[in-house]
Amino acid sequence: MTDALLSVRNLVKQFPLRKGLLGARAWKRAVDGVSFDVQCGQTLALVGESGSGKSTIGLMLLDLLAPTSGEIIYDGQPFSARRGKDRLALRREMQVVFQDPYASLNGRMTVRETLTEGMIVHHIGANAAEREERAANLLRQVSLAPDALDRYPHEFSGGQRQRIAIARALSVEPRFIVLDEPTSALDASVQSQVLNLLRRLQRDFGLTYLFITHNLDVVGYLADEVVVMEAGKIVECGTVDQIFDHPQQEYTRRLLLSIPQFDREADPARALDAI
Amino acid sequence: MAEPLLRVEDLRTYFGTPRGTARAVDGVSFIIEKGETLALVGESGCGKSMTALSVLQLVPEPAGYIESGRILFNGVDLLDYTWEQMRAIRGKEIAMIFQEPMTSLNPTFTIGWQLVETMAVHGAPRNTQTRRRAEELLARVGLHEPGQALRQYPHELSGGMRQRVMIAMALANEPDLLIADEPTTALDVTVQAQILDLMRTLQKETGMAMLLITHDLGIVSEMANHVAVMYAGQIVEYAPTRALFREPQHPYTQGLFASRPTRAHRGQDLATLEGTVPQATAWPPACRFAPRCPFRWQTCATVAPNYLNTAPDRLVRCHLYDPTIPDRPANAEHRVAAARAVKPEVAS
Repeated sequence: MTDALLSVRNLVKQFPLRKGLLGARAWKRAVDGVSFDVQCGQTLALVGESGSGKSTIGLMLLDLLAPTSGEIIYDGQPFSARRGKDRLALRREMQVVFQDPYASLNGRMTVRETLTEGMIVHHIGANAAEREERAANLLRQVSLAPDALDRYPHEFSGGQRQRIAIARALSVEPRFIVLDEPTSALDASVQSQVLNLLRRLQRDFGLTYLFITHNLDVVGYLADEVVVMEAGKIVECGTVDQIFDHPQQEYTRRLLLSIPQFDREADPARALDAI
Repeated sequence: MAEPLLRVEDLRTYFGTPRGTARAVDGVSFIIEKGETLALVGESGCGKSMTALSVLQLVPEPAGYIESGRILFNGVDLLDYTWEQMRAIRGKEIAMIFQEPMTSLNPTFTIGWQLVETMAVHGAPRNTQTRRRAEELLARVGLHEPGQALRQYPHELSGGMRQRVMIAMALANEPDLLIADEPTTALDVTVQAQILDLMRTLQKETGMAMLLITHDLGIVSEMANHVAVMYAGQIVEYAPTRALFREPQHPYTQGLFASRPTRAHRGQDLATLEGTVPQATAWPPACRFAPRCPFRWQTCATVAPNYLNTAPDRLVRCHLYDPTIPDRPANAEHRVAAARAVKPEVAS
């Protein structure tokens, strides 16, 4: 627990459902008293079905959504204790890669503009030439050719766009990246390329990942620790081996059993029986 | 064996685009026997959905058109049918369910109305008896309060319930063939498991055949009797499911298996297929997988591979398996064997 880069304590987020006649409100507790730690340089996977609150947590960790109550402690300091510039500095430390690379890149900006925008905001690089050199470097990091700088997002495939989104996240030299279903929209052969890239970047830059996903195969491959969520609450948490080999909760077991397995083969005789 | 339920022969579905003709489906042949499930597997843009839409002649017009081929359903070529005759087939003999149930249901009508309409189109009277049958269908696909669901609108149901409604509609006229295009991709895993289970049960009860389109090899393994792997508008490998999983033969299939992330690969790089799927307007000239293939040699870029039997019930489109290719590298067999060693890790 000493090495936690980020800690979450009793995090709650309520959304109003509808306003009653007399102003009485119904509330939906999207996140309901969640606590966990993300260890420095590791990957914590947040697993659960749609509506379990995992993406809402991601947004709160990025300081893009205010919690109803509870505290997020980043690098030893609570969000609430950070004011002004100190709070804005978080934006440089924390970055995000979303699921849909078609929606998360600005179609009117060239890759050069996309990659240098964050640098300008955070005063990285002394001048345009230096920033451009950094941008070209970033593209090399994500295995794209530097001539991509002058092109627009629509000229790239889904996997290439996700690489650009990853390069953009890296452009401000973050320590912590929220990966919200980063490979769900990608084809199998491209998914493995992106997963390899994420793993290499983590190793090279000591990045800490919060990996939000419903794909348990990817969790087993990439994550160190797993938090299983259902309806805003943590069902179970532990290391990948603990969760996969010795799930303690019925819900986790059901989730694991639901993954279509290679060894549970269809019975060819079954269909013939039916005739 | 008697004539199969569906026999597709050399199907070509093209699209006119500003950048030239996109050969989305380019010489696809397969059969589906009565009561069996064929999985059509491949990545986006490989033509698997267009193959399915071609069977029902629902290719988006006017850009898309069926260039040539035969689609024999119970021995009769559907391509000879008129639009009116096809309408009588769709939803009756051949039904289809899509990935996103919300876009397939009409938001302005109740579930009950839409289910009754599905049956009425094919001649059932719009009366209480048909409505009762609609209620039975909803109960059969596992909706707990079918009577209430009849009166509900699509937006009042969850994604899993909507997909159950879609399946109920597809089954309403007891089709011989159900085409399911990524039926569970939009659903959570636990719901997916329920829906797949439901589809298996209903198939057993009704004896219908299924053409299942998916990109998930796990689903293939649990559902299909045979698998056709598509790449760049063609089927590159066809095999019984068990045989394919035991020994994928085409380098593309091998790559798909090897690139699957599993816990067994923790801390190692995953196998990747270099590059990306080519554009349908510019397929590589000979072997379409050659530019990404780890085994390619010069001939692969100049001579298109034959679709060969490697076993009585197996077909593969690759020079590695063709003894008639003169300049096949001396160690081709060895290379193939080495590639076979890259077997899928069974998830523990």
